[in-house]
Amino acid sequence: MVQIIIDEEMIAPCDTRHLASIRAMVKDAATRCFSEPMMAGKITLAVDEAVANVMEHAYEGVEPGDVKVSVTSDGSKFCVTVADQGVHFDPSSISNPDIKQHVQQGKRNGLGIFLIRQIMDEINYTFVQSKAHNELRMVKYISENKQGE
Amino acid sequence: MPELSIDINEMDGGQSLVKLGGFLDAHTFEQLDESIQDIFDSGVSKIIVDLAGVEYISSAGAGVFIGSLALAQEKGGNIVLVNPTENVKEVFDLLGLSQIFTITASVAEAQESFV
Repeated sequence: MVQIIIDEEMIAPCDTRHLASIRAMVKDAATRCFSEPMMAGKITLAVDEAVANVMEHAYEGVEPGDVKVSVTSDGSKFCVTVADQGVHFDPSSISNPDIKQHVQQGKRNGLGIFLIRQIMDEINYTFVQSKAHNELRMVKYISENKQGE
Repeated sequence: MPELSIDINEMDGGQSLVKLGGFLDAHTFEQLDESIQDIFDSGVSKIIVDLAGVEYISSAGAGVFIGSLALAQEKGGNIVLVNPTENVKEVFDLLGLSQIFTITASVAEAQESFV
């Protein structure tokens, strides 16, 4: 039985030009953990949405800062934590959109959290007082890992 | 750095073909938004978007099509999406957009949808 352990981290300035590097790190790690071909791409998309939200909104009106993306896996869960020191934002405060109405109204944004919910099994937001930062932790269960390959 | 390529061609019947390649994400979506706005400004509202070369799309990219669809339809046109890759189609499926947009397998089929 092969258990794939992942523990990686990337810190980037809040500039969307760095999204591609973060996607590459997450996709590489997810590809090692999931045998289902589309899963690594979907998890990468979920993380991209979370990080893009931070890059575009977390530091509005305050001193620009970084975003830290940590990827860990113990072989049973794939966990991604996105941390920033910007304004507090709890995604649970956002309800899922009525997509038909969304399109009729021509709304260009506001679908990122919905996509994350569609893809990940757990989503938890915490303000970590000791580090004075926001953490969004997203988990995908590894139901069929690469053991035996 | 992964980029977005946009190639626009005018077609018969007051249609425009927008051929995309690369990465359509929160970093690149504004380029496409501006290009589609330019097409509207030129009086064209029947827009065919060839997605075969798009390797990645996020909600920011899909948002460009969402933002343009109602406007195109108000003007008697449409945004027709052609030949998305499996990855791109998956994003449209996850967002529930596959039932809302006209998606065809070829540019010819997209052209026929305007008749």
